[in-house]
Amino acid sequence: MALTEHVVLRDLDVPNIANFDVYLANGGYEGLRLALQKTPAEVIDMVKAAGLRGRGGAGFPTGVKWGFLPKGLYPRYLTCNCDESEPGTFNNHQIIDRNPHQLIEGVAISAYAIECHTAYIYARGEFATAARTLEHAVKQAYARGFLGKNILGSGFDLDIYIHRGAGAYICGEETALLESLEGRIGQPRLKPPFPAVAGLYSKPTIINNVETLTNVPRIISKGVDWYRQFGTERSPGTKVFSLSGHVNRPGNYEAPFGITLRELIYGDDYGQGMRDDRPVKMIIPGGASAPWLTGEHLDVKLDYESLAAAGTMLGSGAVIVLNDTVKAPHLAYKMDEFFKHESCGKCTPCREGTHWLVSVLHRLAEEGLGRPEDIATLHDIYGQMAGNCFCLLGESAVTPIRSALRIFPHEFDEMIKEAETRVRAHKHANGQHAIKLEPVGR
Amino acid sequence: MLLETHAAEIETILAKYPQKRSAVLPLLYIAQDEYGHLTKDAIREVASILDLPYTDVFEIVGFYTLFYNRPMGRWVLQVCDDVPCCYLGAEEVISGLKRRLGIEEEQTTPDGMFTLQRVKCVAACNKAPVLQANLNYIYNLSDDKLDALLRDLRAQAESGQKLSISGRLAEDYDATPEGLRQIVRDLGSISQEVAAIKAQVASETAKTESEAPAAESDAEKSE
Repeated sequence: MALTEHVVLRDLDVPNIANFDVYLANGGYEGLRLALQKTPAEVIDMVKAAGLRGRGGAGFPTGVKWGFLPKGLYPRYLTCNCDESEPGTFNNHQIIDRNPHQLIEGVAISAYAIECHTAYIYARGEFATAARTLEHAVKQAYARGFLGKNILGSGFDLDIYIHRGAGAYICGEETALLESLEGRIGQPRLKPPFPAVAGLYSKPTIINNVETLTNVPRIISKGVDWYRQFGTERSPGTKVFSLSGHVNRPGNYEAPFGITLRELIYGDDYGQGMRDDRPVKMIIPGGASAPWLTGEHLDVKLDYESLAAAGTMLGSGAVIVLNDTVKAPHLAYKMDEFFKHESCGKCTPCREGTHWLVSVLHRLAEEGLGRPEDIATLHDIYGQMAGNCFCLLGESAVTPIRSALRIFPHEFDEMIKEAETRVRAHKHANGQHAIKLEPVGR
Repeated sequence: MLLETHAAEIETILAKYPQKRSAVLPLLYIAQDEYGHLTKDAIREVASILDLPYTDVFEIVGFYTLFYNRPMGRWVLQVCDDVPCCYLGAEEVISGLKRRLGIEEEQTTPDGMFTLQRVKCVAACNKAPVLQANLNYIYNLSDDKLDALLRDLRAQAESGQKLSISGRLAEDYDATPEGLRQIVRDLGSISQEVAAIKAQVASETAKTESEAPAAESDAEKSE
């Protein structure tokens, strides 16, 4: 059943909430007003009590993260991560497009909670339109005294700046984001020190995702109990699930944690079933880096714990559903091609590993020229990457190929057999020293 | 020189950061629009504004995909070929564009109008397949929409409308077959309004150039 009231996608409840006056008339900036009457510690306690968990992928409790800031060290920075770039993820753009002021308010409340006076929203370079929308929303907030000096007479000052990246998925990794914001190439930093201790300009820094921060105003204005009525005990609240692939109605659907994949894919309020009624073959439940599920997992619940129990993860809540026309080796190839393209080149296992994975997978799945030894080679390559990469990008690149080999090993065998048959026929027709066989189009 | 042509904008950008070098990405965007692409001189100019070693800025231009150190078309068409776009028609869109434009990927049409690129996920998978034209999203593409799209993009460029390959003027619009031409017309009238507002703002209130985007956005909303 669809939500009757949304926490994040409030544009579905209040038409035109992207308009500043409409936002203000519907409880906008009430959260900030209330927060400023509390101490920062009280605001953090509310967010902790609400059980808000980071929506960017790791699912770490937000209030706890805020608590990691070392006492007495200033200035501090808040950075909002809007570098959404992983295949299947697409909620930030919609949140900003349709409900931008709630994000700005969330940034303001969170900045107050962590006692910082400068916040940056790092939007990926391709979000040129979203960056302009945010610039506009921030200016409106300044004009009405919700940002700037002495906000609402509280004595609290805050500046929010929008910073546009320039095309690099790796900048979603929090330390690479900081590097990029400091004007360098986006390569991740060695941790520790963690950003909470030494982040932006070596100052204590908190990095939160767009969706996470957009939750905050409603937690403060409507209260912890109201927030906890949604979701499960350990995954409270709602999640904006980004549903894409071969479904009838792809889109962003905000739902309480704990709905099943079946409901999301087939429910009338959500995906409305598969295109042409074809069967579900693969489900990638948490963005490109999540281990795959199959059509057998439709009753798995979408919350952190249930997905972990099923051997995968909620990640960013991006659910890609693909039908039986997709070949597993090809999907692994496309996914790893993404990671290869986005590898920053800093560490060898990722830079070389993604390169070799893609070169073998390209020959096998795209050219139709697989060889029997390819399977062992693929296991060997990802085996050398797993656990050895500098950051999670390289680790994530292991997931697609490992999932494909684990769940659909026969598809690799079939492709290799087909290739052998072709090669034999080619040699038979053209002699042992025949010129190289032309690749087949997929 | 950027410091003369974009003085107010650069000043506003620099004021955002405690360290100058943070301004390198926004300044490169400005330089790219000003000079058409990031020439060696343009890169050196940005480096000297920010007191950075040239090599640092060359490295940055090489690292980020939205910086171009070679001449590009007036429209840079970037088609997503990632999952799930690739299973929902992206390859047909790419081959359709290649056929119509007579170019391969990473090439520019001889008239300098279009550059075609294959890119990774642009985070609009619910409206696949997707492309960005100068970072304007164009959604739900199919081969039969491409003629109209190219015609309208060309018309925009030929009407003398200012274009930004850095996406500094990006708008968001749907490429529905009947909606496209209408929207492109609207965009045309918006850009005229924007120009009028900009001139007014500049002459009457002598506001900084940085505030012009707000005026533009107002025009969009009222539209």
